[in-house]
This record gives sequence, C-alpha cells and structure tokens, in this order.
Amino acid sequence: MSKSTAPKSRRDVTRVGDLLRQKRIIVCCGAGGVGKTTTAAALSLAAARAGRRVLVLTIDPSKRLAETLGVSRNPPEPVAVPKERQALAGISAPATLDAWMLDHKLVADSAVRRLVKSPEEAERVLGNRLYQQISSMVAGMHEYTAMEALHRLVIAGHYDLVVLDTPPSRHALDFLEAPRRLSRLIDTRAISAFMPRSDSLVARAASKVIERVLGAVFGDEFASEFVAFVAMFAGIFQALSVDVNTMRAFLSGPDVAFLLVSSPAPTTLAEAHFFQDKTRELGLPFRGFVLNRSRALNVQKPLPDLSMVDGSAGATVALRRGMEKLQAMAKLELEWADRDLALLRDLETRAGENATAIALPELAQGADDMGTLLTVANVLAAS
Amino acid sequence: MPLDSLFKKRVVLITGKGGVGRSAVTAALAHSAQRRGVRSLVCEIGDDPKDYSPLARYFGRDRLPIHCEELDTDIFGVVLLARTGQELFLRTALHSATLARAALGSDALRRLLSAGPSFREMGVFFQLLGYLRKMRSEHELEHPLILVDMPATGHTLSLTGLPDVLLRLMPRGPIATALREGQSYLNDPERAAAWVVTLPETLPVSEALELLDGLTSTAIPVGGVLVNRVPIDPFTSAERAALRPFLTEHDVLGGEGFRRPELASREIARLRAGTRYAVFSLPELPHDGLIMALSEEIERARRVRPSMRP
Repeated sequence: MSKSTAPKSRRDVTRVGDLLRQKRIIVCCGAGGVGKTTTAAALSLAAARAGRRVLVLTIDPSKRLAETLGVSRNPPEPVAVPKERQALAGISAPATLDAWMLDHKLVADSAVRRLVKSPEEAERVLGNRLYQQISSMVAGMHEYTAMEALHRLVIAGHYDLVVLDTPPSRHALDFLEAPRRLSRLIDTRAISAFMPRSDSLVARAASKVIERVLGAVFGDEFASEFVAFVAMFAGIFQALSVDVNTMRAFLSGPDVAFLLVSSPAPTTLAEAHFFQDKTRELGLPFRGFVLNRSRALNVQKPLPDLSMVDGSAGATVALRRGMEKLQAMAKLELEWADRDLALLRDLETRAGENATAIALPELAQGADDMGTLLTVANVLAAS
Repeated sequence: MPLDSLFKKRVVLITGKGGVGRSAVTAALAHSAQRRGVRSLVCEIGDDPKDYSPLARYFGRDRLPIHCEELDTDIFGVVLLARTGQELFLRTALHSATLARAALGSDALRRLLSAGPSFREMGVFFQLLGYLRKMRSEHELEHPLILVDMPATGHTLSLTGLPDVLLRLMPRGPIATALREGQSYLNDPERAAAWVVTLPETLPVSEALELLDGLTSTAIPVGGVLVNRVPIDPFTSAERAALRPFLTEHDVLGGEGFRRPELASREIARLRAGTRYAVFSLPELPHDGLIMALSEEIERARRVRPSMRP
C-alpha cells in the first residue's frame, strides 16, 4: 500500500521527488505543446522505479510515446508495460508500471456502458446516430471522461499512484473548467426544459417555446431528433451530474497533487498565476510548477575554451575559428540560461510554502525515447 | 504551391501545435499583405474575451477587439467568440433581434449553446462567415484576406470538419444554409488554404505530419508547411569536423547550438520526405523586431518556388 494512506505527518510535501513517492494521484495540467505527456510518463516511470505500483493515464498521446513504453493505443483496460522494458527501466517487483493511452471517444463509450443499467440500453445509446457524431464534440466531455476514468481506477485500488495527463487544450485551466460547463448543461433543470413531456404546465409551455426556437434555428428534423436524444440521455446526464461534484471532492483530497507543466514562454508567468488562483478557488491541491524545456540548468556548464582541447598548441585554423564561433554561441546560451533561471526563481517565489517549482532540461532530440524519459525521471526523482 | 499563393486566398487558416510561433507567423503574414497593399483581417478564436492574446501582443495590445478594428494600416483584427457568433446567427435565423434576445435570455438555451455539441465551433464559424461576406462597397471586399490563427490542432480539425458532420445531422434549415455557404469558401482551393506552422525538431515535425494527414481527411485545401525558427549554421564543414571530437568529450555551453543546425536539417528532410505539400523555411530571428524581420523573410520566401519532392 502507498505510504500516504498512513499519514504520519501533516506537513505538506513540497518536493516533486516526495510527491511521486507519496501521493496517490498526480494530475498534470498545462496548455498544449509544453511536453505535458512526456512529463507525465517520466513522473510515472520515476515513481515505479521508486518501488510503487503506478498507472499513467493519458488521452490522445503521441504514437512514439506508446511505442517507447511498448503498449498499444486504445486497449479496453490499462495494460502493463512489457516486463523486459520495465526491467530495462529499472522497475522491479512488486513495483509495476501500467499505461492506458486512450482517445476520448473510447473513454466516453466506456462511461456510457457503466452508467447505463442494462447492456441493451447501452447498445441503444451507443448506436444512437446523434451520440456517434457528437459524443466527442460536447464541450467538457473529454475532460469529464478523463476524470471519470481516473476516479474509477483509483477507487479500484490496484495502484499506489495514478498519474493523469490531462487532455490537450489551449489553456491549462480548461481541464478544471470544462467539467463544470458540462455539469451546468446536464443540470436537471436545464435538461428538463428540453424534455418532450414534463409534469408542470409552465414547464410544458417553456419546452414548447424552446422546441420552436430550436426548430427555427436547426430545422424541425434535427430539433425533434435532438429532443429525443436528450430524453434518452436524461438518466445518464443525471448520473454524470452527481459524479462531477463527487469527483471535485475526490480531487481535493490530501492524496492528490496538481502540477502545472509549462515552458519558458513569455506568457508562462501569467498562466502560472491564473492557474494557482483557479486551483485555490476550486479547493484543489496545487503542488507545483514543472518548467519544461528550461535552459536554467545550463548555467552549471563550463564555457568552451581552446585550453580544454588536448594538444591545443598545435590547433588547426579550422579548430581555432570554430572555437571562436562556439564561444560566441556559448555566451548566447549563457544569456538564455540566466533568463530561464530568473523565471524559475520567480516561479519558486510564487509557489509559496506548499508547492514547488522545478526545471527540466530542454530535450532537443524529442523526448519520447526510453533513454530520455529515464533522464527526465531521474531529475524528477531527485528534485 | 508557392508561398505567394497564400496572399491570393480569401481565408487562410494558420495551424500548428502550441509554441511553434503560429501567432508570430500570422502577424508577419499580415504585414507581408500590407506591403502588397492587401487589406487583411487577423483573427483568433477565443473562449473568453478576457483571455490574454499572444497575437494581439504583436500589435501592441493585450487582446484583440470583440468587434473588428484597425490594428495597423490595412491590418484589421478581431477575436472570434462563440457567443458573438451565436447571437449573430440567432438574429439571422429568427429574423428578429427581439426574439433572438429572448432566446438567449433562456437559461436552458444559453447552457445548451455553451456546452452543447459543437455549438461553440458553430458560433465561431458563423462569425467568420460574416466577415467573409462583408463588403466595403458594391464591388470591393471589406477584408480581401482573412488570416485565422487557429488555437490548437484539435480545433482546426473540428472547425474544418464541422460542416460535414453537421450537415449530416441537419440537412435542412438555416444552419444548413449557413454551413453550405461556409463550405463554398473553406472547401474551395481558389479561396481557402490551411498552412501548418512547425519547428525543425523531432516532435513538432511528427505532429505536423499527423496534422497534415488529418487535414487531408477534411475538405479544406492545404497550402503548405512553414518551418519556423530554423537555426542558421555559422560553422563551416571543416570547423564542424574539427570541433566534433572536442564536443563529444566535453559537455560545454554552446554544444547545443552546435548540434541544432544538424538536427534541424535532418528533421526538415524528414518532413519533406513525409509530405507532398510545399515546405518553406523561416530562420530563427531575435525577439526584438521579430515580426518585421519575419515578414521580410516571408517576402524573400514567397518569390522562390519551393523544392518539391520529385
């Protein structure tokens, strides 16, 4: 069992290395294109190397990451990373690493299967023409389904830690906001307005007006189909509506850590600020910033010099000229490193007592091969 | 397709993953259009009018206006918001501003429009259509070139694939009419093109190739690929050969800069081999004066014919 189930200290952990050894859920948030999936994979690798049973749950991952971990995409349930790869990555029993890489359509389908009472009913819903077209287009559905899968897998208790890589979006905050948007839609009062038959006279009149508006806007054909669709989904929506609140509570527990993954872009600080405020407002445990592609660590590297070359006395013209250019380049890289380090310090200050800020190196090779993932995992475990 | 063709379209979607410099490229394209005397409208898709906007920053603003305004000579800007488009649409469809206001006043309908299936994309789509239709005079378009800075890969595909999906669902009615009109722009290679912005690095190139595949399956014509921030190689091949043993042995500052041009050419070659579309390179430039310098590079690139895969 995870150490965090027997809390000895109330002190909030503020090191990523501790988070991945102690928490039961780590949620990685961040805008698209900041290396969130890679970070989630490296976190789970580090936790499994530290002896825990870990699952990494990711929506819409890259093909290469799936290949690196040796798992197929879109299996019906989580799958274990092949034994030889786990051994290669330094994971030994009883520790394990499972991965579940999904597209959102599949998660939505499996949510329907579980929420609907009978298999016949589930097939009827899944076979619905509207459902097939729009299940992945409903705003908030991806985020909701990811949270739903997370909830179920944690409750099942097979894992010490589940790392969730949130679905790609423009803003880091979408993951936090989208389920609320969905729950507003599926609020029973709103839904009942679209229901074909309702008990009260007022409700019936209101639904008539809405039907007329829908008819004028969408065409009668779609409007009536939509009303039928909503009626069919009313039960499911109600079940979802309860769950959104349950999950909000579930994600605000002491075993949970939210991390914001970002890159050293000009907007990073503003985004970090918003994210921190938002998690506080929602009562979610914000635990740190992961600054990806940071050059901050480069300040430790030495500047190149001809004296470092063996037999530098007899250096060729090409080597001398090349070294001059390399030194100019090094100066520039030092400036970048200083700038990124200043950003990291800003984030550290902003993180405060209960959270942390760490920098991961820029990975020019593309970060999805096992060697690179292990490098990142080691940095995370040690930080 | 030469880069020059981009400036002859009505609507150009600038797509690509986050962090590749899509907004900078969009702003630079608008300045290139300006040099040629082509009036353009730059748009981005917003969720909230209070969102920060990297694109607006390049025009010295915090965010783009909700109603179209001139940002610079002959460069207009607007943020496309689902809500604005939905209002516009309801007013048209219901033939009455009063009825539209009443409909939007309905709590249930508002919730439906904010979360319902693809209604947000539809609002954006409709607003874009409004700007495409807009005339300055009887014979002159208000915005001959509309540049859309697309937010994320998924959005591009859902916006461009939207008409097909929705037309299957609602073949008749005012939405269907609007969608068909939108399609007449977006699916016409004479009038529309999607351009993919990427970086000369492993993951961005893989993602650009996936995005090109995705775009091919929608009906929007693809213009080509712009590889942004291609590092300039200062080393001669003799200098490279002389430095390589030293850099293999020592992890020093400058080593990254030494390796980057090699990686970049390898990745650009992989991109060229993986797609039949034209690939253009834009060099890495300093942040100060980025947009004007980038626009000059675009001027240079638009005159050359791209090297195509034989």
